[in-house]
This record gives sequence, structure tokens and C-alpha cells, in this order.
Amino acid sequence: MAKPIKTVSTIVSRIEDLGNDTKRFTLMDQDDWELPPFKPGGHIDVHLEPGLVRTYSLCNEPEDNHRYVIAVKREHSGRGGSNFLHERVRIGDKIGVSIPRGGIPVNPKGMNIFVAGGIGVTPFISVVRHLERRGCTNYALHWTSRGRPVLPDMIEPAMVAGRVHLYDTTSQTKPAIADIVKECADSGFAACCGPVPMLEAFEDAVEAWPDERKHIEMFTPPKRIVQSDVPPYEVVLMVSKKSATVTAEVGLLGTLEAMGVEVPISCGGGICGACRTRWIEGPPIHRDRVLSPAERQNELIVCVGDCAGPRLVLDL
Amino acid sequence: MDAKATERPRVATSWEGVVRFLHKTPRAFLPMHSFPELQLIAGRGIEGDRYLIGQEAGFYSHKPEEGRQVTLFEIETLEALRRDHGIELLPEEHRRNVTVEGVPLNHLVGRRFRLGETIVEATRLSVPCRHIEEILGKSVFDPLINRSGLNCRIIAGGTLRLGDVVRPL
Repeated sequence: MAKPIKTVSTIVSRIEDLGNDTKRFTLMDQDDWELPPFKPGGHIDVHLEPGLVRTYSLCNEPEDNHRYVIAVKREHSGRGGSNFLHERVRIGDKIGVSIPRGGIPVNPKGMNIFVAGGIGVTPFISVVRHLERRGCTNYALHWTSRGRPVLPDMIEPAMVAGRVHLYDTTSQTKPAIADIVKECADSGFAACCGPVPMLEAFEDAVEAWPDERKHIEMFTPPKRIVQSDVPPYEVVLMVSKKSATVTAEVGLLGTLEAMGVEVPISCGGGICGACRTRWIEGPPIHRDRVLSPAERQNELIVCVGDCAGPRLVLDL
Repeated sequence: MDAKATERPRVATSWEGVVRFLHKTPRAFLPMHSFPELQLIAGRGIEGDRYLIGQEAGFYSHKPEEGRQVTLFEIETLEALRRDHGIELLPEEHRRNVTVEGVPLNHLVGRRFRLGETIVEATRLSVPCRHIEEILGKSVFDPLINRSGLNCRIIAGGTLRLGDVVRPL
């Protein structure tokens, strides 16, 4: 029997070396058919080989619906995804990708402040292109970069119009995030994507803001927290009628994998949402950065989740 | 007893419908495209569609089904979703091939009928799947239960066009 088709089949149609260890990949359907739609700031899981799935923001705008464009900075000491893309992927290769998820919900009328660090600009490239296409000028992108930034060609009209503020941290001091977002303190929207210190500064600056007026896009999963204070508990799979004991050392995800459960895992760090699973009995411990409080009432991101009680029952 | 007295009056089958939209897509997950006509191939499926037997490029192709060569959907369901649930589901979004108007699809299982110049046989009702919610980002699963279309086998192939009449054999 044929295997189930779980991904959108794409072909690598273009690879550009942008310098600064960054490459831009264009993925298309083999017959140039339109691809599944996405929202500005959305992302896809790229299935590079079994067990190697990575999430990347889409840089092109939703209206450009015959291709997915991703920009990948090579992290020599990373987890392997960027090295694989830089070293092994060639034009014409077939790559499976997920249906796009996520997106950055801009304020259509108020001011929008986007704060990006380095390659963390990728989700905002898509948003800026989308806004520019619509003639919207109610935003500013503050973009720090170590040396020459990559990808400015994708937002040239915005740069010419002065809506992009570049900070070269090799010659300038890093901007104060709190000062940048101050403009939207009472109304408007702010979003940030970049390295951990930048995200932490952003989180501090917008801590008191309501959730709907701020957004944090993470491109490095946070380090897994080993909860040594979580005592072992039993995980019960209602559909497959299996159960096992989860220990802090192995964790919930490791236990599910050992049980032979097929959970669609992507980031493994609670930021992409690919492994969201319905829970029936708990209460679970949520450590993700994806689910809303309402969603947490019946869903769990299992790659970072645990249970606060003796028994966790999942709809698996 | 007089046989004529017990004979129930014959009720004529009175429906006749029309083809409103035609869609296909070559591979799983890709958006459906609208066409003015589709080529139906007897015993195989729709030329260029993901479920054409031999192509096996659909989301459910790993579960072969001879009776899934062409799928139909009622335009009245789209109207009901809008009216009763406030959901705007477009003809290209339900992922069936033929959107018809005035055809009681749920009553046709096991029957053959004319679809333009072609003849099809309804094999089973379609069921909604969560997969469509994933693709569309719309919560349509529950509202589509019991009105998610009809799966058919193609008995006599041919060209199916927009505006073609659908009627009983």
C-alpha cells in the first residue's frame, strides 16, 4: 500500500547565496500550481529527511502564492537543519513541507512596531511586503544586524520610504527596545523576533501590555526545562489503548516516541504547534508558547508538556 | 380485493439539477482550481485530478477506493453553512470536484444518474475530515456532517461542462 501523503510536495527552484552565511531558497510546485495559502508572518515545517524537520518563516507575501521563499542562516553549531540546507540541498531537489501555520496579526488602523534581530527579520519581511502592497504605512521595522544586513532587497520600497530603521551593531550601540516600543505603549501593536536577549528585553518592555497587542516570534526553541520536581506520572493513550510511566529524565515526548506513537514533531521546543494534542484527563503542565489560555483547556503541546497529577490521558 | 384499489399512486422522481462549478487539483493539499470543463474517464477518474486511478497523489490515495473517481457537492450546503453557521465556504474550498444545484445527493447512494453526457454511479456519501479544517483554517467539520457530498464511480466517461444538466437515468 502507498504511504500516506503528509506534506505538500515542492521542488527547490532557486537557491541564492546572500552572503553572511545566509541562503535564500525558493520552493515551488512541480507544475507551478498555486501553493496552500499563508498569512503574513506565517511559517512552514520543512521536512529535510526522516527525523529532521525544521520550521522557517515565509519571506514572500501571501499574494505571491506560487512559491514559498525561506531564508536560512547557517548555524554551524546548530541542530543540523541549516547545515543540511546549506550543504546538501540542490536546485531540483524534492522537499516536503507542511501547510503554512501562524502569522503576525497586525493592527490595521493603529501603529505597528516590528523589532528584529539579524535573520529574525524573516517573518517581518513577509508582513512588510504585504503592508506595502496594500499601501499601508502604519508601521516601522527596527532591524539590528551584525554588519551588512541580508534580505533588504525584499523590502526595498519600505527602506527607501524610511520605514525601516537599520542598526549595525558592529558600529552602533544596540537600540533600547523599551524606547522603540514606547510609541505603541497605549495603543497599536508590537512584535519581536530575534536572539534570546532581544526577546527578553522585548518581553520586559511589553510585559504589562494586553496579549492581543504584542507578539513574540521565536526562531530558536527555548532550552528544554528538565522539571526534576515533576514526579513520575502515568500517560494513557485513549485511542491506541497504551500506557507508560513518564519520568523527568525521559519526558513526555520521549515516552510517546518510545511507545511508538506518531506525533508530528517539528520544533521540539513548544513554539511551532505541530504536536498539539487533545488531552482528556490531567491537569497538564503547559510550557509552550503557542496555545491561548482557552486552547489550553483541552489541548497540550506534548513536546514540552507534562502532567501535574498522577495520570495524563491523551486523545492518541 | 381489486388490485387497482390497493395500488398506490405512482410518484414521479421529479428532480433535475445543474452543474455549477468544476474543480480539480493534481496533488494533496494544493488549492483546487476551477475549470469550465473536466474530462471524466470511465473506471478511472478525472484527468489531472489527484485521485485519478494510477496517479495516487491525494491525501487518501493510500486508501484505494474504486468508488471515489469523481466527487459531488451540493451548492445548497454552502448556502446553509452561510445562513446557519455564518461560515463562508467557497466552492473551491470543499475539495469535491463537481458542485451541483438541485440534486438530492444523499438520496442517490447506489443509483446511477446522468451527469452531463457522462453516467456515474453513487457509491457512498462523503464524510468530512479534519484535514479540510487544517487546509482552510475554518471550523467546518461539524457543520459538514451528513452533507459532505457524494462519491461516485464513472460508468460512462466524457466531457463534463459548467451548466450541464444532472438527472436520473
